[in-house]
Amino acid sequence: MSEITLAGLEKRYGDTLAVEDVSVTIDDGELLCLLGPSGSGKSTTLRMLAGLETPTDGEIRIGDEDVTDRPAYERTTATVFQDWALFPHKTVLENVAFGLKMQGMGKDERREQAREMLERVRMGEYADDDPMNLSGGQKQRVALARSLAVNPDVLLLDEPLSNLDKRLSEDMQIELREIHAELEETFVHVTHDQDEAFTLADRIGIMADGTLVQVGEPNEVYENPKNRFIEGFLGDTNFVAGEVERTTADSVHVETELGREVVLPRTAGADGAAALAAGESVALSLRPEVLSIEPADAATFDGEADRTQPVRTDGSTTNAVVGTIENVLYRGSTIRYSVAVEDTSLFVERTVADSGAFDAGDEIRISWDGADVLAFRDDGSRVDL
Amino acid sequence: MSGTHSSSSLPAPIARLWESLRERSRSKRALLLMAPLLVFELLLFVAPFLILLRISLTNGSQDLRYAPGTWSLSGYSEVFSTDILLNAITYSIKLGLLATAITVVIATFYAYAIWRSEGLVKSALLFSVVLPLLTTLVIKTYAFMPLLSPNGTLNDVLLSLNLISEPIQFVPGTVGVVVGQVYIVLPYAVLAIYSVLATMDWGIVEAARDLGASRPRSVLEVVVPQAMPGIIVATVISFAWSVGAYAAPGLLGDGQNKARAFALVVEKRLLTLLQWEVATAYAVVMLLLMLVSIVLLTATLNYFGGEFEYA
Repeated sequence: MSEITLAGLEKRYGDTLAVEDVSVTIDDGELLCLLGPSGSGKSTTLRMLAGLETPTDGEIRIGDEDVTDRPAYERTTATVFQDWALFPHKTVLENVAFGLKMQGMGKDERREQAREMLERVRMGEYADDDPMNLSGGQKQRVALARSLAVNPDVLLLDEPLSNLDKRLSEDMQIELREIHAELEETFVHVTHDQDEAFTLADRIGIMADGTLVQVGEPNEVYENPKNRFIEGFLGDTNFVAGEVERTTADSVHVETELGREVVLPRTAGADGAAALAAGESVALSLRPEVLSIEPADAATFDGEADRTQPVRTDGSTTNAVVGTIENVLYRGSTIRYSVAVEDTSLFVERTVADSGAFDAGDEIRISWDGADVLAFRDDGSRVDL
Repeated sequence: MSGTHSSSSLPAPIARLWESLRERSRSKRALLLMAPLLVFELLLFVAPFLILLRISLTNGSQDLRYAPGTWSLSGYSEVFSTDILLNAITYSIKLGLLATAITVVIATFYAYAIWRSEGLVKSALLFSVVLPLLTTLVIKTYAFMPLLSPNGTLNDVLLSLNLISEPIQFVPGTVGVVVGQVYIVLPYAVLAIYSVLATMDWGIVEAARDLGASRPRSVLEVVVPQAMPGIIVATVISFAWSVGAYAAPGLLGDGQNKARAFALVVEKRLLTLLQWEVATAYAVVMLLLMLVSIVLLTATLNYFGGEFEYA
């Protein structure tokens, strides 16, 4: 069993707190992605797992063993480093055989195993090459083979794909998933790239400012973010500032900088909205994918009618604003429209198939279901609607 | 239009001619750039050595240091007719090997320590290696006398701790010569090794530890092979300097040391006996021996550095 438990993990460099109170249990065979911006402490956490940093406080258990103070060379973890850290004076094969050599395995046996591992990552023909002559993607494969060769209980990946170009990185993500499925080992993967985390992870742990903010399955952290930081970090969104006007039994009415009142339906049983006082400022997150657009003139749009629209029985409510397209941004498969609404602006995305439907200067109506909107308090915490 | 561009569009034979012309003009430019260095070498190294070689091929003289204009091998026959040469060779090579071995080991550890330290400690370590270079060789060698002589500081300490019952004569003597020589060459060896380590990525040492290499093992497997170019330079510098050591055996050695150190053998004939043809013959023989031993040494180190069994 190689279930990993981190309990109250802390790392301090002088006065700087790099990692603060990180506690999580990683299941045996799970692929956990630690996701966060640079400086969030995710790499430091991984290095503590590897034994390359000693925690100032807290405990690390792998399986039933407390490994907190155990040096890297006595741990059953293996790390794939960001810059791959291949040994420059050894051949590719010698690199991969290194861990087995340290385990005291005989020369012929370790060379044979290393060769097999190289075949597995499709680098067999480069066995006798100098690793410094390989391309980034090839180095990446060799580094992976080198770490897998020692048959670790836990494979730690420290942003190994961040130095590769987008296409290569995506191919490697799929390959990593396959290797993970095949080996059934525990993987901990550190990345700042949310797409990478969503592709790879069984669960995602989101880190910010040295703390582990939320751990959950990809769809859970995306749809149910714990705070405003996560909502903003995972994908693009429009944050709209507003002020609570009044709260009714089934809805919250927010006066926003869009110049209109936005109605948010309340879920039965959720009590977060009850604590919302009239006049409290909130930020609403309108994700581009929940926004629909249509030409303003074609819409049967009556602002006053919308304002009084009640929450429907299925819990949905239609909100709408009218704005002017400021600019159109082609982003490959999608087109992003930046729309001026009152004093602020919203961005909306459509697939490229709708290309040409709207131009800069057009007046359009943006509408959404209030149930798709998340609200956050000033301190960043989410309002349980 | 650039040369490369025009040559590709020309017929093959003309292109070849053009290419070779271009090659020649480039080497001429390289020669021009090297000229100051060449002049320097010729003037300050090759020319004096030729004069030295010429003197070694003259006759001895009763009232002059040597007899100019004469041709003779008497200097060399004098060199090879006594056992002074053999003693000098044995002594100098022994001193060279001993001082070099001690220096390179200490320098490797010291350079590693500089590499691994940070901030003020790093500056202090680096500074204390460079500091002795700012003092003249004679003064820093003399400094070992009050330290190591029978009534010196070290003996006082050892006596007061009751570790020894009688003072030991480190100086004058072989111990003093070795210590002094190591002290003279250590800074150069440290800097040679550190300059290579400084370009090394600590990440590969972490990778080695992560894959199960203990601390000493990771240094042996990853740091030493990487630092090999620096270690080779440090070895050659230490060896060449120690074989030709002058100040350390001259100031810290006893009669035995002084009679055997190569440089002192030459000095005696040059300044005391005034037999320049013999002195220069010794110098030429010594230079050839040094050349041969450094080539052998480098070849050996390269062999181990390059053919090390890694996997």
